[in-house]
Amino acid sequence: MNLNTSILKYIEDVKSGSFTVEEFTAATLQRIKDVDEAVHAYLSLNDSAINDAKKIDQKISSGEKIGQCYGFPISIKDNICITGTKTTCASKILENFIAPYTSTVVNHLQNEDAVITGKTNLDEFAMGLTTEFSAYGPTKNPWNLDYVPGGSSGGSAASVAANECLASLGSDTGGSVRNPASFCSVVGLKPTYGLISRYGLISYANSIEQIGPMTKTVKDSAFLLNIIAGQDANDDTTIDNDNANYLENIENGIEGKKIGIIKEMTTSDGLSSEVSAATKDAINDFESLGASCEEVTLPTIPYTVAAYYTITSTEAGSNLARYDNIRYGYEMDSEGYEYNSYISKSRTRFGPEVTRRIILGGFVPSAGHAGKYFLKALKVKSKLISEINSAFEKFDYLIAPTAPVQPFRFGEKIDDPVTLMLLDYNTVTANLTGKPAISVPYRISNGLPIGMQIMANSLQEKSLFQAAYALETKTKLPEVPL
Amino acid sequence: MVDEDEIIRVAKLMKIDLEDHGEHVSRVKKMLEYFDILDQIDLSSEEITSQQKSLNELRKDEFIPYDKKLIESLKNFREHYVRAPKMN
Amino acid sequence: MTKIGLEIHCQLTKLESKLFCPCKANYREFEPNHNICPVCMGLPGSLPRLNQKAVESATSIALALNCQTPEKIAFFRKNYFYPDLPKNFQITQLNVYGDMSVGGEGYVDVEGKKIKIRRIQLEEDPGRLIYEGASDRTKITLVDYNRAGTPLVEIVTDPDFENPRQVRIFLNILSDLLENLGVAEPGLEGAMRADGNVSIEGGNKVEIKNIGSFHDLEKALHFELTRQQSLSERDIDIVMETRHWDDRRKITVSSRSKEEDQDYRYFLENDIPWVKIEQTTRDVLKENMPESISSKKERYVEKFDIAPQVAEIIASDRYYSQLFENAYSEQNAKDIANLITTDVIGFIDTKEKQQKSKITSKHLSDLIDAINAKTITRNSAKVALQEIVKSGKDTKLILQEMDLGQVSDSSEIDAIISQIFEDEKQAVIDAKERPETVNFLVGKVMQKTKGKADPVKTLELIKSKLNQ
Repeated sequence: MNLNTSILKYIEDVKSGSFTVEEFTAATLQRIKDVDEAVHAYLSLNDSAINDAKKIDQKISSGEKIGQCYGFPISIKDNICITGTKTTCASKILENFIAPYTSTVVNHLQNEDAVITGKTNLDEFAMGLTTEFSAYGPTKNPWNLDYVPGGSSGGSAASVAANECLASLGSDTGGSVRNPASFCSVVGLKPTYGLISRYGLISYANSIEQIGPMTKTVKDSAFLLNIIAGQDANDDTTIDNDNANYLENIENGIEGKKIGIIKEMTTSDGLSSEVSAATKDAINDFESLGASCEEVTLPTIPYTVAAYYTITSTEAGSNLARYDNIRYGYEMDSEGYEYNSYISKSRTRFGPEVTRRIILGGFVPSAGHAGKYFLKALKVKSKLISEINSAFEKFDYLIAPTAPVQPFRFGEKIDDPVTLMLLDYNTVTANLTGKPAISVPYRISNGLPIGMQIMANSLQEKSLFQAAYALETKTKLPEVPL
Repeated sequence: MVDEDEIIRVAKLMKIDLEDHGEHVSRVKKMLEYFDILDQIDLSSEEITSQQKSLNELRKDEFIPYDKKLIESLKNFREHYVRAPKMN
Repeated sequence: MTKIGLEIHCQLTKLESKLFCPCKANYREFEPNHNICPVCMGLPGSLPRLNQKAVESATSIALALNCQTPEKIAFFRKNYFYPDLPKNFQITQLNVYGDMSVGGEGYVDVEGKKIKIRRIQLEEDPGRLIYEGASDRTKITLVDYNRAGTPLVEIVTDPDFENPRQVRIFLNILSDLLENLGVAEPGLEGAMRADGNVSIEGGNKVEIKNIGSFHDLEKALHFELTRQQSLSERDIDIVMETRHWDDRRKITVSSRSKEEDQDYRYFLENDIPWVKIEQTTRDVLKENMPESISSKKERYVEKFDIAPQVAEIIASDRYYSQLFENAYSEQNAKDIANLITTDVIGFIDTKEKQQKSKITSKHLSDLIDAINAKTITRNSAKVALQEIVKSGKDTKLILQEMDLGQVSDSSEIDAIISQIFEDEKQAVIDAKERPETVNFLVGKVMQKTKGKADPVKTLELIKSKLNQ
């Protein structure tokens, strides 16, 4: 059975009877057995996956109405709640947390008959860029197991790249879907803020994060967005998307479109030589597709990483305050402790990066320092939004490489906090401004992936997919060597 | 220059026990020093904005009981109370 | 120069659901932790959803207190750790980026003095703590989150009160006003709480928290004033601090700089968009607001010639004013009002009794009709009222069953008078000599007829008999 297929091809095959849902699911589970010990994309597996698959086969054979997904296998990042499953956020502090309710996005998937394969690994509480900060061990890049898969949705990206499922749902706060998508050569979308419900996504920085689909192809991404996007009564920050069909007109092309090359994200001294070369070629590809490319400057960009970390650590410090092990968490008897010592002791279970972000998050908005850090960061956000809105008056798309470098070895960047932060340089802009951005696999160079990022204006996902699809037609990528 | 004592005081406020985590202080300090870059940009004309909704888009005032058994799936104590350590 | 300010918290128990989720706003009937959901428990991944009616109720309160109301409102997080806070932050309001809480810059008139309302904000109540254990060393804390998320309106005054008596009057006015608006039930236990701040002679301000009831507030204020005055007399500085009310020992105690160390790191609650409140919305709310107490009182006095004190009593209490409004007609308004304040009030003098009472406006109008038609005496009406309040049965039925019909037949009364004259020979002689003592005989007739005799007719007949 060829597991290196797309969702749309899979559905065709199931409909035509080439294989049953159960057969494909069984093959997927076998694949997980074969490779996941090495890759470690998954933290937990869904025990009833085969039964769910069987039920869908029954529906098909009995002619009952069947959901759009036809049982395709999908993995879910372990910071998204599913009733009755362990949802750990790759943290020891939620080691035994069993979610008592299901997130809206998974509800949509289950209603449309998708099969959930399991929960995937991430940097603890989604804070990180390499999945090295998971409390349960890192995920390996399927393209080269000595290299990082990116983060924080490293497990999600790797599970798709290694054919351990056909798609995954990750979350993107500063690049956490696009960065690992680029590192693992899959398609990763961060939608417009408010397009996808966050109900059931365990918050890290709630003002800018979004759940994002990770798939093999651009069309699959649009298909998945159709299933999970839309206003949700459980999330006051969701917006009306007019029931858009994102697959519609996706092959229209980009003839006559204007593309802005973001100067600050494409300067050659900020990028590795391979990434720089790939970017130049991508620009040529866009032009050959009929678009006109021109450099554009967004002068606020050099301040965005500092603003991003200031804002997100403030929100994280607040969003993670609830983890005091009193209402849920793990077993620790309160005998002998008083309140403050109990919660301080329980919170020693946070990993090092989360601990540091929480301390930062107490510092930058505090009474003596908010003016210097937090309030300034909020104003950087406002300024950036004006700048990018002006840019979108002139351009249909803004492009840059997703990551300034290719995947690197484990342990290489983890010791210098500033170097690590700067990996987000090209991606945080989309989060701070709420604009949609997609990473498209572009090239494998020296065995390691490079992805290209395309941004569009708010709620322009349909147009964004058109550009991404067009670029995809220009790429020819090898299969993963795993 | 960021005062290390201040970082330690903040950690305490955030209920983070630094006893075994002393190495975090210098790393946090480095990150804060990077944030100094925010002083270099002119932000005088910027305003803080947000998403907006109108009153009638909000949730209607209706009582909908949730699953009575929710407390049983969390940490609870006899007669359904949640047990917390003693307060000082 | 004594200055007292207040911070009042009022639960919006008339709402159906909590501020950010559909659990019940009034949590009092539930077993512990049986009025909770992922949102008010702050479970990972849950998100708050703002209650439209809560915003409307809070805005109505702001309008009723003569406040300015903004075009859009925002919510903020107040971050601190406490076991009764499921998220370890409280979603509340603050005026950081301009005026964005539901109202501010209003006032309440207290005996001619304008008490300024600095700010009104909407926020969520935390859960409740119960301390269990024999001694301080063995106590564990039990937490019930049923109340977490209950909608609260916080009303902050300027330090305009000059003495605790003004505070008491203000709180009564405020309670009546909130109840009259139909948004709160101040009589419910714990539904309305107040903290205070006190300073004397332009000195440092001391905040007093943890006050359980309005009764305790007055005690706490008196204690604190005395404490500050005695310090001042001995030339000792009054420290600016927060103290809490120790209900057991009836004193205020310093909160040991716990408050001073706090840093709430206020920032916008981004899970709740800013809410636009159009002028039209505010106009509609104002229009639909129930008539204010002072306006009702004015109307009763001017239109129906009801005595001001009577009007005051009825207007101030939502229960009585509703009874009155549905019972009166152009002719009998004054009578109904008097009946309420003279007799009804004696039977239904607490909120609990108001809840249990079975009396309706129809009962009142039936009674007044009967009195005016001379079918029953005022006295009998009182007796009937007691039964009406208890059973709610039809007035006519009760009058029949209890045989309360007025005796106005002259021959009947005459017969009884003759009997009395027989029994009270000395009183008859007294009455003949000193006419003013005739009331004794009238009283005896009333006694004999169990109050049913027409008193006017009785007096007439006795006088004429005396003159025979």
